[in-house]
Order: sequence, then C-alpha cells, then structure tokens
Amino acid sequence: MAVPGVPIVRIGSALLCVFQSGLSDRIAEESQRQLLAQIERSGATQVLLDISSLDEVDTYTAHVLVDTADMARLMGARTVLVGMRPEVAATLAHMGEALVGLETALNVDQGFALLATKRARR
Amino acid sequence: MPATLHTDYMQRLKLDAAEIASRRRFFAIEDEDLQRLSALRPLAETHTAEVLAGFYEWLLAHPGTREFLQDPEVVERLKRTQLQYFLGLFAGKCDTEYVEHRLRVGIAHERVGLPLKWYIGSYSRYLDLAEKLIRQSLPPGGAELSLVSLRRLVFFDMALAVETYVAAVSESIGQHRAAVEELSTPVIRVFEGVLLLPLIGTIDSARAQGIMETVLKRVSDAEAQVMIIDIAGVAVVDTQVADHLLRAYAAVRLLGAATILTGISPQIARTIVDLGVDISAMHTRSRLADGIELALHLTGRELRTGGS
Repeated sequence: MAVPGVPIVRIGSALLCVFQSGLSDRIAEESQRQLLAQIERSGATQVLLDISSLDEVDTYTAHVLVDTADMARLMGARTVLVGMRPEVAATLAHMGEALVGLETALNVDQGFALLATKRARR
Repeated sequence: MPATLHTDYMQRLKLDAAEIASRRRFFAIEDEDLQRLSALRPLAETHTAEVLAGFYEWLLAHPGTREFLQDPEVVERLKRTQLQYFLGLFAGKCDTEYVEHRLRVGIAHERVGLPLKWYIGSYSRYLDLAEKLIRQSLPPGGAELSLVSLRRLVFFDMALAVETYVAAVSESIGQHRAAVEELSTPVIRVFEGVLLLPLIGTIDSARAQGIMETVLKRVSDAEAQVMIIDIAGVAVVDTQVADHLLRAYAAVRLLGAATILTGISPQIARTIVDLGVDISAMHTRSRLADGIELALHLTGRELRTGGS
C-alpha cells in the first residue's frame, strides 16, 4: 500500500511542506523522498517545513527533519523549520535534541522573512 | 462570595451524602443517638441562655480567647452562631444541611483568626456544660446514654472544624505558591517582538522547568523574535544553571527566536569559563542595555539618540 506523503505547495521559488498531526515514521520518510524529488523537478531554492500541527515530535522524526534539511541544502535549497509548538520545543530541548544547524522561525511568514535575508544566520 | 463559601468547602472536602453516611458509621452515630439528643431539645431550649452565659464567661476569663471578644459586633455574631450551634446538637439530624451549618461555623471562626487550640478547647467546654445540664435533669442511666450520643456528635463536629481549617490553610498556601511562581518568571515585553526576563535569586531544577515553560509560552504567544534573559540577579551560576540556560536557549531557537544572555559579570564569565561550559552559541552581553541594542539590531531596528 502506498504511503501518503504530506502536502507540498510551491510558492515562487519556495516549497512549503505542511506536516499534519499523526505523522508516522513512514510518512516522514515518504515526505522526505517526495520533497527531494520536487526540489529536483522544480529547481526550488527554498524550503519551509511547517510543523505547527504536530503536538509531538519524537527523536526519530527530529532526525528525519534535520536530515531532510541537510539533503535539501546539498541540492541547493535553503531550509527553515517553522511553527514548532512550545511543548514540543521543551521536550526536544530536554532530550538534548537541539536540531543543531537547522534554521527555525516562528511561523510561515517569518520563515519567508528569514529566507529573504541574505545568508544563513546561526 | 461569602454566601456560597460553605458550599464551596462542601465540594472541596467532598462532603456528599455518601461521605456523610460513611463518617456517621465511623463515628458510630446511630439513629438512636440522634433520637436521644432530639428528646433533649426542650431541655436544651430552656437552658440555652444559661449554657451560653457560662460559655462566654469562660471565654472571657482566658486571655487567649478574650482578645477575640473585644468587638461587640463580633460578640453578637458569635453569640448568634453559638446559639444555633448549641441547639443544632439537639436537632436530631446529621445530614447535609447539618454538615453545611457546621462548616459555616468553622469558616466563621477561621475567618476571625481564632487559633484551632481555642476552638477545640471550646468543644471540650461545651461537653462540660452540656454534661452538667443533662446530669441534673436525667436519671443516671439515661444521662450516660445521652452523653455518649452527644460526645459522638461533638467529635463529628470537631473533625469538620479541623478539616475546614486545614482546607483554608492549604488554599492560602496554594495562593502564595502561585504568586511566587508568577513572580519567579516575570517576562516583560520591551518592544514589539522583544521580550525580557530578568532572573533573580536561586535557580533550581524545578524553577528552571517553570522558567522554560513560561519563556516558551510567552515567545510563542507574542510571536517574539528575541528573548533577552538577564542573569545579573542570579545568586549562583554553576554548571547546572548554565545547563538550564542552554536548554532554554535551545528550545527558544527551535521555536524560531533568538536568545540574548545579559548581565554577565566578570565573576559569572570566569565561572562559566572555569566550568568549561560552552555557551558560545548564545548571544551574550555584559550590560542589559547592550543586550537591548542587539535585540533591536536583530529585529531590524536601531537606537538613535537626540533630535529627529
């Protein structure tokens, strides 16, 4: 049975990838595959990963997100993670999952604003 | 609202019909006990004035209780309550209404600040006065049985009084704790998108947890881009505190906001380096003013001095 991915919307030169609650490992992996394929097809240079619907993010999902960002960057697309919920951030920080190297923003708007800045800030 | 206070306590102490029945069983208050007391009601009614007078004479004789009887208005109110209390013992009932009344009496005493010791002592005095009255009026056998019934009911009342006091105390502890928690993490909005948290005192794990939760919630609610944490007032910065700060920084970053740590004195700087804690990922400044300036810079603004 085919695993559904997540909706990926193209906005200009950016791809907006909206994760929905009930994200399983397989859906996360499938989303990664589809996103990378879309980057290749569309030549997008920017990616927003919107996780505002996720009320929990486990270690595995966190790693998939970081890996996805790394892979997208290798393919020439700068990636920003947006909309993490406070309780998710608290849990990840407690587990020592700082998602190092991943750029973050409060919401999609600010994600675009960050992408508009010239270079990646720490 | 004072009018509904006792019903509030009824709920808090979970005094529903089942609970009252269970207590009655434990205090061995049988229907016969209540009937025996109810039979004494006419006697109680004729001697109420005498018993209450004896009771107040005794309260006034002791300095501990006398100080609560300075205000004539309070005395009048207490006398009315005591009259109802005394006659209530001979009502032949021990139901929800009875318990509600007992709680009201307890709350009234707690409100005027009467220490529990005087309150419990008063029950003992009531038993003395009632015993004298009953022995004078009943044949020895009947008097004994009635006194046992009375004692059971008075102990039942005492349990309610103590619980009312305990509930009031735990409520005030809860309020204080909430106030302290609120004060421990005073997040201030400095500018649009810039929040400031001045930390003062000692940071232990429990407080660090609270700080983390509040900070994340406020950053998210205010859609803040920068969180300034000023640690000038923190008593001791050790490895653990540094660790808590780093965690808060990491979590705030995950939300998409930056953290600036300010108030770093030479002492704190030395400690952090000596401890070998790496906080290089965080923006740090010595003075709060510099931190605010950096925050403005990060949010695309700048500080100008003078004229236009």
